[in-house]
Order: sequence, then structure tokens, then C-alpha cells
Amino acid sequence: MNPRRKQRLFAVSAVLLLLGGAVGGIMYAMSENVDLFYTPSQLVNGLGDEKTKPVVGQRLRIGGMVVKGSVKRDEHSLKVSFDLVDTGPVVTVHYEGILPDLFREGQGIVAQGTLQDATTVNATEVLAKHDENYMPPDLKDAMKDIKHVAPATQGGSN
Amino acid sequence: MITEAGYLALVLALALSFALTLFPFYGSLKRQMEPVLLARPLAVLMFIATAFSFYALSYAFYTNDFSVMYVANNSNSLLPWYYRLTAVWGSHEGSMLMWLLMLSAWTALVALLARSLPLILQGRILGVMGLVCIGFYAFVLLMSNPFERSLPFYPVDGRDLNPLLQDFGMIIHPPLLYMGYVGYAVPFAFAIAALLSGRFDANWARWARPWALAAWMFLTLGIMLGSWWAYNELGWGGWWFWDPVENASFMPWLVGTALLHTLSVTEKRGTFKSWTVLLAISAFALSLLGAFLVRSGVLVSVHSFASDPARGLYLLAFLLVVVGGSLTLYALKMQSVRSQARYQLFSREVLLWGNNIFLLTATLVVFLGTIYPLVHKELGLGSISIGEPFFNSIFHILAIPFALLLGLGPWVRWKQQPVTPLVKPFAFIAVVTAVISLGWVSLYQSFTANLALLGLLLGVWVMTSSVAEIGQKLRSFGGAVGLKKLTLSHWGMVFGHLGFAVLVIGVAMTKTFSVEKDVRMKIGDTVKLNEYSFVLSDVYALKGPNYLGQAAELEVYDEGIKITHLHAEKRFYPVSRATMTEAAVDASLTRDLYVALGEELPGPSWALRVYVKPYVRWIWLGGVLMALGALLALFDRRYRQRSIAE
Amino acid sequence: MRKWLFFIPLVAFLGLAVFLFSGLFSDPHLHENVKVEQAMPAFALADLENPAKTVTEKDLLGQPYLLNVWGVWCPTCNAELGFLTSLRAQGVKIVGLYYNQPTDSAFGEQFDLPTLQRDVARKLAEQGNPYQLNILDKDRSLIFDLGVTGAPETFVVDAQGKIRYHMVGDINPNNWPQLEAVYQQLVKESHAGVTP
Repeated sequence: MNPRRKQRLFAVSAVLLLLGGAVGGIMYAMSENVDLFYTPSQLVNGLGDEKTKPVVGQRLRIGGMVVKGSVKRDEHSLKVSFDLVDTGPVVTVHYEGILPDLFREGQGIVAQGTLQDATTVNATEVLAKHDENYMPPDLKDAMKDIKHVAPATQGGSN
Repeated sequence: MITEAGYLALVLALALSFALTLFPFYGSLKRQMEPVLLARPLAVLMFIATAFSFYALSYAFYTNDFSVMYVANNSNSLLPWYYRLTAVWGSHEGSMLMWLLMLSAWTALVALLARSLPLILQGRILGVMGLVCIGFYAFVLLMSNPFERSLPFYPVDGRDLNPLLQDFGMIIHPPLLYMGYVGYAVPFAFAIAALLSGRFDANWARWARPWALAAWMFLTLGIMLGSWWAYNELGWGGWWFWDPVENASFMPWLVGTALLHTLSVTEKRGTFKSWTVLLAISAFALSLLGAFLVRSGVLVSVHSFASDPARGLYLLAFLLVVVGGSLTLYALKMQSVRSQARYQLFSREVLLWGNNIFLLTATLVVFLGTIYPLVHKELGLGSISIGEPFFNSIFHILAIPFALLLGLGPWVRWKQQPVTPLVKPFAFIAVVTAVISLGWVSLYQSFTANLALLGLLLGVWVMTSSVAEIGQKLRSFGGAVGLKKLTLSHWGMVFGHLGFAVLVIGVAMTKTFSVEKDVRMKIGDTVKLNEYSFVLSDVYALKGPNYLGQAAELEVYDEGIKITHLHAEKRFYPVSRATMTEAAVDASLTRDLYVALGEELPGPSWALRVYVKPYVRWIWLGGVLMALGALLALFDRRYRQRSIAE
Repeated sequence: MRKWLFFIPLVAFLGLAVFLFSGLFSDPHLHENVKVEQAMPAFALADLENPAKTVTEKDLLGQPYLLNVWGVWCPTCNAELGFLTSLRAQGVKIVGLYYNQPTDSAFGEQFDLPTLQRDVARKLAEQGNPYQLNILDKDRSLIFDLGVTGAPETFVVDAQGKIRYHMVGDINPNNWPQLEAVYQQLVKESHAGVTP
């Protein structure tokens, strides 16, 4: 092999090695940072045909309706917890911080966080419906396939 | 009436764009000069017609003509006149018209400024621009006509402009961004014209480079302003969210940066030709892809315009024709082009390969992160989102070799660089870098290896090396008189690199030392972040012209000394039922104090978001420096030579 | 060996284009509402003008109708009132589903029926009243059952109470012919007594 060829071989293999490393690294980082979206019933019963349930500590997004009367605030801090529901099972969300401007009981929201136990999520971020034309897209998808069951306790107040 | 005239002007512009495509291509095919010569006035006329059309829509907004559907949907009579005018591009149809205005402006500029180019090449470039124009004019006329009337039933008043969009940053952010996106049509047209002729010489790169610089400058400013707007208006205190729409503008920027660098290789060394052409095509393709992603509804984000599958289909078909066509042409024509230049392993050419590899890896990362949720859903695996840590961690890693090479690059000669002459200056640069960055970081923390230290090392490395390189150049020119000898494009490079260094330092410092706290406060309460104490002195109700709200007053003390007063508001706009957070920001070069007012809680107490963000201004300052660098390089004398006619 | 290298970008791009094409059509946001071809969800809600009266899905059977989701706070809805009124004059049965949008609780605005009735009456007097009746969905429960994501939206319901068509966005002279064809078909069916 003449020196020119040798050099070229070296350059090409260096590029390939870098590229391979980069793609591998990207794939790994991506698999570490994928946040799956669940509705409360998917979170409890499992997602998809295989009924895969999230594991404790997993990062995820959850979207559902805030159950009326479930919002509990800490008196001295911004700690808050509330229940989310779609078709049946209820999932509790804990959050500390400012809730979005349009956070309401009975409204659809999406929370990003980690799973604390089978039915509890620690949220780092809570997103609400932004205006009358905007609903978090993931939630919009989820909402289309579900049947809303009004909680029995909810009579016609005010 | 003027509305109809505006529509007709747009139809005329479409007709002109057909002519602009046909005549020069016909002329260059038949080797006749007359049809090619027609291209120039046609391009200018097309711009005039489009500008008139834009004026007509603006006039409809200014005079509150709510029989025009687009006006009724995006403006109302209560808006002040300047917001009525900026509402023109507040939504899909009008922003497409602005896109056309920019596209025709670039075309006219090419027609006027590229007169020194060989006539045939000129004609081909304008012809390709014309082809791109046809696609977009037809899109606006067929699928997003902003002049559509809603007669005979029209509303007496329009709807409110989204209050988020009533902001200075929002007003100039889209035009700049579009200038950048559309600007990449010009290097693209240069590349296609060169592919058609099969000739790629140094001249070609020298002609194309200023256009790539100009587009890059606008895109840089547009992205920076968008980031600044998000920071001020969205009330979250973040400056980059890896939102699909942001990513759509970031990808052409990354490729455009790579293009700037390879164009200089092609210009000075006559090599990297096929790669440069591919980058020129890719930069424009990514701009188009961005338009497709934002406007088709394939990706949904806070920024997205109303989605419409028919529009998406049209844009996809257009993308297929333009990009697919040019890549086919590329594959067929480029095989026979060979570069003769030889270079050694340690040479500027190889370092610029490195630059390109890292920039393209970054593009790939952004691309995958944007498109992967789509793939995932498509495969029926459920909805996902890619977390910010994905982008952040990879960009942190990529920044290291990129910045190290960047510091080295300007010192290394073309073809071959012996190592020994560089040892001494770089030993010096390394020592200076270490001393400055360790000293700098010790102002904020004890010596720990973290992101801040890394960012400072990299940033200071690039800065020292840039400054030392200027010093060395001056010495070799013989002192301060050498300042005149340095070309503007060299200064452009220096500013561009300094801007990058400033940006890196800003990002690293903000990410490491920002303190962000959501707190619950009563009047008189104090919260302490770093050395700053925030005292909530008052909260009261507000009543504005078209909103209700609450305002909070805070005093900020540093070690007992009052340094500033902050006034944060939360507004509610009844017409559009939107709530807006007007954050209070006290800005300075080394830190921002940021307060946003949240909800009222029993007590009475309030939720407040309080941030201290060190060096956040450096991020935008870096962007401005980079754009300034591009501006300087644009005015380099060698891009103004009018002689080269072969 | 060198030649095929130049085709890589083209192939990669074409792959992406195929994918984007499928993404364009499988996007779930663009799919038909799943409630189409299903019965109208059961509800018992107050009549906005006459709150003492409760309206249920059964009260609306017997004649095809348009269920128009709207609110005075929604400018696009207000813009379509004029055209809808002209449709009512042509004999189209339109039922309003009033979508109550809560204001921000921080500003202390509470739900107040008389105020709402006054606002609605004023708006309808100004723009035209296309509605045979207005159903008030105070807690947004029917809205939720219907999968409504904003306003205005319109459902075309047949005489048997089955949802046959769902439209997002305003109804205007441009898109009405399409909707009208669906509606007239349902009118024909109801006259012929066909159960689809």
C-alpha cells in the first residue's frame, strides 16, 4: 500500500468510526429520553396490545381530566395534588409549582413527570388547554376514543 | 376594490414567474441572448406586483375591512394601528404572502446585483428562482388566498389578535426568519444553475457565498429574536424549548453554517465541490421541510398554524419536485466533477471537514428528535415526546470537539500545516484559557468540574485563539497598520467565532447557575435566591383598555442594598379569553432577575415564579455578534468585483 | 463504486418523502371524529332560554338537525350566525349547543345565568338567531362526550339521533354545499322512513 492510499484509508475509517459512534450515541440518548404518553386507564391497565405498564421511576407524560373536588393544596407552599381520570381508573398527580393559567377542575391537562407508584405520578411540569382552539395534542388524540363517565357525586350545583 | 387589485397583482406575479422560468431557460438552450436578458426586468416586475399585493392586504387591515375573511379572523377595530399592520402576517395566509414578498425581493436583488455574472448563468439562476416562485405563488393563490371575501355575510368586527402576538419581538421575528429561509433559495439556485452547466470553479463559490452569508445572517437574527420573544412573553423564563417549530428553523441554520465554511474551501481551494453543492441544496430543502412540517399539521406544537391536509399534500408534492428533482440532477451531474486539490491530514481542509461533520451530526440529532415521535406514532407504538435532556446532552458533547477545532482552525494553513510552529502560540493560548476560565468560574463557585467550567474553557479558548490570531496576523503585517490589511471577511470570521464563544459561555453559565423557584408569598414575604432577596411589597388589581389583571410589586435587595424594583403583571383578555403573563425582568450583562405572577391562593397569598439567570443575555449577544460577522463578511471587497466575465 | 454514492441523498430524501406522505394522512388529528356513525350521547341539559326545561337527546328525534357548538366568546361562531340564520329561513333545523367557557378564577368571575342569557340574547338580536333552541352545557360534559376540541363545530344528526357528519370550523357559503348534500340526504331518508 502506498502512503497516499494508507492515508486515505485512515481518513475514511476515522470518519466511519466517528459516524458510527455518533449514530450509536444518538440512538442510546434517544432511547433514554423517550417519554411515553399515557391516559390514566392506560397507565393502570397497560398500554397497547401487550398491555405494557410503566415501571416505577420511569419518565412519562399523562393526560386526563382533573377530577372535580380532587385538587388539594398545601397551605404554606405550592405543593398540590389532584386526580386525573379518563374512562375509569384514577391516577394521582403530585406537583410543586405554579399551575398553568387555565388549570381547572374538570379540564383536560397533561403532566410530565416520573412514576412514583402504580397510580401516582410526580409531575415536573403541568400543561393545560391553552385557549379555546388549543388542546395539548396528545390529549386531544386520547380524548377522541374515550367515553366520559361523569362522577356520580357530581349533582347540579350552582 | 384595492383588495381585488391585490389579488390580481398576485395572479400577475404568478404569470410573471412562469415567464421568468421559461424565457431564460429557453434562451440558454437556444443560445439566444434576448430571452435571457428579459429575465432581469421580469424579476423586478414580479417583486413590484407582489409588493403591491402585500400593500393591498395591509391596507385592508389598516382600514378594518372585515369583509375580507383573513382580516376578520386576525384583527379587530380596537387594535392600535401598528398591531393591525403586523397582524398581516399573524396567521397562515398572510405569512405566506410575506413569504412571497421575501422570495420576490431576493429574486429581484439577484437580478439587480448579479449583473457581473456570465449572462447564461444569470439567466439560469433567475430561471430556477422563477421555478421556486411558481410553486409558492400557485400555493397561495390556490390554497391560502388571503384576499378571500366572506360576502354577503360578514362580521361587523373581527376577532382579537392572539395577545401572545402583540409584542415587538413577534412583530419582527417572522419577517427575519422568513428572510433567512427564503434566502436559501438563492444559493440553491446558484447550485442548480452550476449543476446544469456542469462547471464549478472558484468564481462560482465566490458569487454564491455572499448570498449564503446574507441568508444566514437573517436566519441567525430571526432565531435569536424568536428565543428572546419566548423568554419575555411566554412567561416560562426559558430561551429554547426544542419545540418542533424551533427545530425547523435550527436545522437550516446548522446546515447553512456548514455551507458558509465549505463555500470558502471551494472558493479558495477549488475542492469540496460536490459537498458544497449538496449542502446548498440541503439548506433550502430543510427550509422547505420546515415550512411543510409547520403548515401541514404533521407535527403539532404551540406555534403551529391551523393544519390542513390539502396544503400539506401540495407542499409535499412541491418538495418532491424541487428537492427530488435537484437531488436527481445532482446524482447525475456530480459524478463527473472531480476536485484536483491535494491536502495533508493536518490542514485547514481537514479541520473544515471536522467542522462539517459536527454540524451535520447536530443537524441529524435535531432531525431525529423532531421526526422520531412521528415515526413512533406511525408505527402504532403510542404517543411519545423526546425529552429536552436528549438534545441537551448530545449538544454538550458535540460542543467540545467542535469548539476545540474552532479555536485551532484559523491558525492552520491550507494544504499542509507543520505542527512545530503552532506549539508555542497554542501553549500560550492554553495557559491563558486555563487562567481566565478558572479565575472566572471561581467568582461563582469552588473548583468543580461542571458545565460552567466546561463552557468557560471552551468559550475562552475560542476567544483567546481568535484574538491571538489577529495579533499574529498584525505582527506579520508589521504592526497596527496591518489592521487595514485584514480583509472584512476575515473580521467577519473573527466576529462569527467570538459570537459563538459568547453564546457557549452564556448557555453554560445560565444552565449551571440559574436559580428558578416557584414560591408562595404573602405581602411582605421575602424569598432569597443566591445573594438576592425578593420582597413582595404589594399586589393590586389592574384594569387595562382590553384586559383585566393583577400586578405585583417587588423590591430586590442585594446584601441589604436595594438594587431594583420589579413590576410583574398577569392579564386576562376577555375578548379572546386568553390569560397572559407579563413577566418583570431586570436585565444586566451578567444576570437577569425575572419574576412572573401566578395565581392567587387563599391567605391571601400568591404563587410567584422567581428566577435569577446569570449570563442569559450572552446567548442573544452571541447571536448578534455572529450576525454582525456575516454582515462584515458580506461587505468584503472581493464580493464586489464586477469584472469577472469569462 | 463512486457513482452510487451520489444517489444516497436522493434515496434518503425519497424515503423521508414516503414517510411524510403517510404521516400526512394517518395524522390522528385529521381523522373523522370517532363519534360519527354513532348515536348521539345521552344527555339531560337545561334549555338556555328556559332553564326550568330539561332537554334530552330524545327530544330532538324525528327530524334531522345541525347541532352547532358555539359561544358568545368565540368570534368565528359569531361570524357564522348570519349565514346560519339564512339557513334557518330555508327550513334547516339548527340546535345550538352553548359551550360555556370558564373565565380565569383568579379574576373572580362566577357563572351567572341571567348575565349569560342577556349576552346571548343581545348577540342573537344583533347577528340573527339561527337556533330553534339552545342547549346550555354548563359543565361542558356533552361537549366532552362529543369530542369537541374548540368552537365552532357542527354535527349533523339524523332523525334517529345518529351522528352522521362532523365539521370543525365555521359554516360558510363555500363549504355549505358539501354539508347541505349530507343534510338533504338525511331529510330524504327521514321522509322515506328508511332506517339506515
